Amino acid sequence: MKKQILKGFAVAAALALSAGVVTPAQAANEIVVWADETRGPNIRDALATKSSWVSGYTVTVKAFANFDALKEAIDKSTATSGPDIVVGANDWVPTLAKNGKLAPLTLTASQKARFSSSQFYDLSYKKKLYGIPVDVNNVAMIYNTKLVTSAPKTFGEMVDYYKANKSSKSLKAGLCVAGGGMSWGAHSVFSALGADAYYFNADGRINKSRTFNPNVFGSNVRKFLMDGGKSNGFFPASDAGCKDNFLAGTVPFAIIGNWEWSDYKDKGFAMNLMPVPGVTASSPGKAFGSVNGAMLTSFASTRGVEAAAKSLLVDFFGSTAGQVAYQKIEKRPPAEKGAAADPSVSDGQRGFGASAAEASIPQVGAILNGPSGTSYWDSAPAFWTAVLVDGKNPVVEAKKLRAIWSANLKAAASDI
Amino acid sequence: MLIQLFRGKVALAFKVIVLALVTALLITLAQSAFAQEQYIISLFLVATIFLLNYTYFSNKRVPLKFFVPGVILLSAFVLTPVLYTLVMSTYTYKTGNYISKEQATQRISALALEPDENGTAFDIVVGDYRSEPALLVSDINTGSYFIATTKERIEIDSSALTIDEYEVATAAPDFEPLEAGAISGSDAAKLRFKYSDPYFIAVESLNVGVVFRQSLEYLAESDQFRSLITSDLYSDNGDGNYANLNDPSDKLEPGWRDPAWFSNYLRLFQDDRVRDPLVSVFIWTVVFASLTVLTQFAFGLFLALALNKPIRGRRLYRSILVLPYAMPSIMSILIWGGMFNTEFGAINEILGRQIAWFQDPNFARTAVILVNLWLGFPYFYLVSSGSLQAIPNELLEAAAIDGANPRQVFRKVTLPLLLQILSPLLIASFAFNFNNFNLIYLLTGGGPKNQLDGEIAGATDILISYTYQIAFGSNVQDLGLASAISVIIFVIVASISLYGVRKSKVLESFS
Repeated sequence: MKKQILKGFAVAAALALSAGVVTPAQAANEIVVWADETRGPNIRDALATKSSWVSGYTVTVKAFANFDALKEAIDKSTATSGPDIVVGANDWVPTLAKNGKLAPLTLTASQKARFSSSQFYDLSYKKKLYGIPVDVNNVAMIYNTKLVTSAPKTFGEMVDYYKANKSSKSLKAGLCVAGGGMSWGAHSVFSALGADAYYFNADGRINKSRTFNPNVFGSNVRKFLMDGGKSNGFFPASDAGCKDNFLAGTVPFAIIGNWEWSDYKDKGFAMNLMPVPGVTASSPGKAFGSVNGAMLTSFASTRGVEAAAKSLLVDFFGSTAGQVAYQKIEKRPPAEKGAAADPSVSDGQRGFGASAAEASIPQVGAILNGPSGTSYWDSAPAFWTAVLVDGKNPVVEAKKLRAIWSANLKAAASDI
Repeated sequence: MLIQLFRGKVALAFKVIVLALVTALLITLAQSAFAQEQYIISLFLVATIFLLNYTYFSNKRVPLKFFVPGVILLSAFVLTPVLYTLVMSTYTYKTGNYISKEQATQRISALALEPDENGTAFDIVVGDYRSEPALLVSDINTGSYFIATTKERIEIDSSALTIDEYEVATAAPDFEPLEAGAISGSDAAKLRFKYSDPYFIAVESLNVGVVFRQSLEYLAESDQFRSLITSDLYSDNGDGNYANLNDPSDKLEPGWRDPAWFSNYLRLFQDDRVRDPLVSVFIWTVVFASLTVLTQFAFGLFLALALNKPIRGRRLYRSILVLPYAMPSIMSILIWGGMFNTEFGAINEILGRQIAWFQDPNFARTAVILVNLWLGFPYFYLVSSGSLQAIPNELLEAAAIDGANPRQVFRKVTLPLLLQILSPLLIASFAFNFNNFNLIYLLTGGGPKNQLDGEIAGATDILISYTYQIAFGSNVQDLGLASAISVIIFVIVASISLYGVRKSKVLESFS
């Protein structure tokens, strides 16, 4: 009998305990935003600067442990578990849209005018816009003023400096990629030597038939980066160790990311940022000026908060006031024009913004992700390895590279 | 006293408390899984709750009490993933074919809205007009205002309206605005309001309406979509997409997970782009696992033999040799990765060379074997040392008395006996290294890989890292194909493990 009572107690205790920890359902007037470990708390703080960004709705921000955890969560999310808005990378858009996890939004002309039109390329797929540009993600070249007294005007100037000072100043390389890797981060070097991933017409639309000239690009690679069929050591084929060596003063020029400018500033480097100089002074290399976006998910519609979530996107993520409040804390270059011009923007944010304004190219995932089979992200580092490590003929390898990029451009034609 | 702990009231109370806590946790997880529409997981948890309580609240099922936790954990973390992988390998399950057909159909319908040429948008107020859902629309470019219901569009003179400083109408006669907090979930947010056929106004955000037209309609009877612009029909193509009957390459997105039966397995043999890299990856996987076991065992045994004799500082040497084993392997691999760096790495500094360790296929493979040797030799040093102690000295002495020199004693007596003892461990090590994902992923990422020449797999990719690359390594994920390769890896590793178990005869006591 006693045992029966105890069994009953066990069941009762179990139910009682479980009742207290039932997963809370999303409230009717609640908009759920997912972000990573830095953006999440910062968005939460920025939202708190105003009593309500969307009248009648509360906003809950869930921060994940890191960017990869966020990506994994959104990949696996369902209508019951997913957010209404996710703040993530622009190159998530094609995949998430293809998988039915994102919902499109339509901006009015005045809302569109708050951003540079090229910024919408990043967040669009099959001619539909899936998010609002939140912050600019780009790289720029920094030079060490203890080694180089003035900004180089051409690519050749940098190479000459490296060759002349390699031994005397124990230089380990001339220019290296510290931020963004040998594909995304190194696009400005491709571009400076004559190979843009794609080109634009005068009307701002992508030219679907133009690709780079492999003979010109290959010859420039041979001229500036090679000696006697081998790498001349100016530009390493890998990004490993670049940041440490630049900070240690053994590399005079480095391509750095805007997410880490404070690391350089903390070490005493001035924010003398610029695009990678081109073969001529008037043709600087274009860096990818991509954006991180606040994207609308298809789950918002399921939960009946789609219109409110769109209002939050426009009135907080896409407004001057919202981006100023957020970027004061986040310290990345804001995407919105009014916020970018705000006096509260720091010199690091401004330096990257200026470099992007001088020479940048939007990151179009639909082309770069390799719709024809091989992506830009894989083929670009492969080119550097083939030429700078294996010593292969740069013109021959440039022709292979062009074939891949050209095929991707054609394959993406209907999506852009 | 001790018996009281296991049989008395204290034990019963302890059991009840533990079971209550476990049951509470499982009920929570079950209802959470149910709420997230994970019905199979929820059902499994409920079954677990009943099984646990049934087993532990009875005095008659004693053997079951020992087996149940193991069986549940084995089912949850071994059998279920294997079964799930097996099932997924028979599906078209990749980027673009991720959700169910029902969800895909809903998404296609939701996406089939096309703004007009100018992207016309209006400031709106959502509310009711004479008890009907309606929008109070302000066209500030033309200074015109109207109320749109689902049936009609009623032009309203500005003099009858309340207009704010931005020229937006905020109130109109017979028009009752909805509270902001009620708009998103209201019927009005889902309706289409009259504009100019075929275009209508839909609520975009709380105060903006956009002019759209429907571009596709779903024909439920024939399970087809029809384009309202071109009249093209899109039918289920049997591969997880609605495809244009006139142009099969024109597919609607998103697609859905569709049964593909054995097509993923057939692709492994029939599709050149899958088969060719898979063959080279398989060969390297076998070579890598064999070389790893061979080098680790040889080096570990060599050190064990060297330190098997009493020498000064033996304890210190033994402690030092175990250090690589004590250090977290992830840290070791990353440090080695830095040391092998071409431009800045310590190894090239010492050699005075610019060896492209991770860019050249042969050097990368050498680096992988060397790093794995560093990570694994202490294990074989430890087991060899222990095994050497287990070999009776009489055998060695007898061999010496029979005239065998030390080399012959090692070759004819020590090594065969050691191999007899260690062969199950060698087989287990082979199976482990067959799937040594961490090393490859952290050290070389599977590379180098020359994409310019169309290489799909990297020079150091082993089957598991190649599978990971297919499943998660790029923007285009093919989970169905990756599952098929995983099943094959499972069969290989399970066979090797079974062979190892038989070799070690650990199951003999059960037979």
